[in-house]
Amino acid sequence: MIWIGDVLVSRGEGGVYKERMLGGARVWDAHRSKLSALYHVGTGVEITQGMQVLYLGAANGTTVSHVADYVEVVYAVEFAPRPMQDLLEVSRRRKNIIPIMADAARPEYYAPLVEAVDLLYQDVAQPEQAAIALRNCAFVKTGGFLILMLKTRSVDVRKEPAEVFQDTIDALTAAGLIVQESVWLAPYHHDHAAIVCTKPSG
Amino acid sequence: MQSYWFGDVDEERCSPFDGDVNSCVDRIRSISARMDTFIPLDWKQSVLCRTCRDRADYISRLQAVCIADAERSIREQYSGKDAELLQMVRTLDEIDTVINLLSERVADWYIIRHPTFSRKYRRTPAHVLVKTICEKSRGALGRVAGEIGHLTDTRTALAKEVSARANKVMPNTSELIGGLVAARLLSHAGGLLELSRLPASAIQVIGARTALFAHVKTKSPSPKHGIIFQHRRVHNAPKEVRGKVARVLAGKLAIAARLDYFRGVAVPEFLNPAQERIDAVGKERKS
Repeated sequence: MIWIGDVLVSRGEGGVYKERMLGGARVWDAHRSKLSALYHVGTGVEITQGMQVLYLGAANGTTVSHVADYVEVVYAVEFAPRPMQDLLEVSRRRKNIIPIMADAARPEYYAPLVEAVDLLYQDVAQPEQAAIALRNCAFVKTGGFLILMLKTRSVDVRKEPAEVFQDTIDALTAAGLIVQESVWLAPYHHDHAAIVCTKPSG
Repeated sequence: MQSYWFGDVDEERCSPFDGDVNSCVDRIRSISARMDTFIPLDWKQSVLCRTCRDRADYISRLQAVCIADAERSIREQYSGKDAELLQMVRTLDEIDTVINLLSERVADWYIIRHPTFSRKYRRTPAHVLVKTICEKSRGALGRVAGEIGHLTDTRTALAKEVSARANKVMPNTSELIGGLVAARLLSHAGGLLELSRLPASAIQVIGARTALFAHVKTKSPSPKHGIIFQHRRVHNAPKEVRGKVARVLAGKLAIAARLDYFRGVAVPEFLNPAQERIDAVGKERKS
């Protein structure tokens, strides 16, 4: 990851969402992007130039644009038409974003488009976030990573966030993933947690 | 055999898919994978297939196809007749909020200019007061009051349009509960498809979010009705049967929304008995 002092940046064409520029690089704001918050409060996954990334819940393409600055190609899945219009605009200006308008819970429909990836990044506001991640693990290479941004309030508003957090970790472990890191994204994002897993061989 | 966007791949053979971006979009919409036997695609197969020259070519072709597919999907979703109605009814409700806010502010301002003025013992409706202020005040105050008047006219015209559009887009629902309230239900659900997928119990409490969550979290009673209360059948019903009217009406609305989505025309065989049933409940008395 590229840090200028204690500011996380990415190198690419600016002006995507009026982000600040610092020394010609785009400032990656931890308050706006959960992935940036993860790099601030924890370790995360070092994303590098040769990587392929499957990004579920791409929304307006804000975080996607930063990820695309770091890696070879991003497959960005988004379901809703409104944010998709923004994501398309970002994709037209970046050669390495493949926008896919599909439901992340139903990977069978976009499977013919997506290759095996080094990193599965998921940030969707759905109740069954763990199940969606597991279904999409078919795309992850052996030894690859899953970063799950857990919106605890989307899973069940009546449950305590900590309980949802633990349940999700258990579900991922039970499915054979190795949980490498699990952190809350406070103070940047409340009731949101990040879970980083690796997919072991076999 | 695995079907990918660029062709069908067997053990070793690959039959490429030939065609322009548009027919490629048709193709990716028609194929899907079985996830239990799914093998992630290898882009090199597309070169073996002779669909693509190299990695850069592969990515740029795939991007072009995906962008075209997404653009087509967006167009399809917006072309649904409910998309515009949704914006119309939301605009209407927001204009209402603005009119109320501005009217209050203008009245407060007017009171400062006329220290002897009081609204007590007067039955002046807000819009009449705004009109008076417009006529009697000079400068910005009068102009703002005038703008509220214009906005009110726009609101009235828009409400008529919403009603007329709702009658077309959701004929059955509108018949049961009136175009305006039907449109508001649509707005809360997020679209006709979404509304048609809601259970009656959810339709009954659409718009009563605060009360519903208070009920879920504490032991307060569940809300009886949400925005369907705005319809005369619910708010005019005797208090002791109001909950029942709301429940029956919501049940019929759920069916009506499905008819609207799947058939799109008024269905008298459904509407007539439904109306009778709802009216009958409203006349019931608890013995």
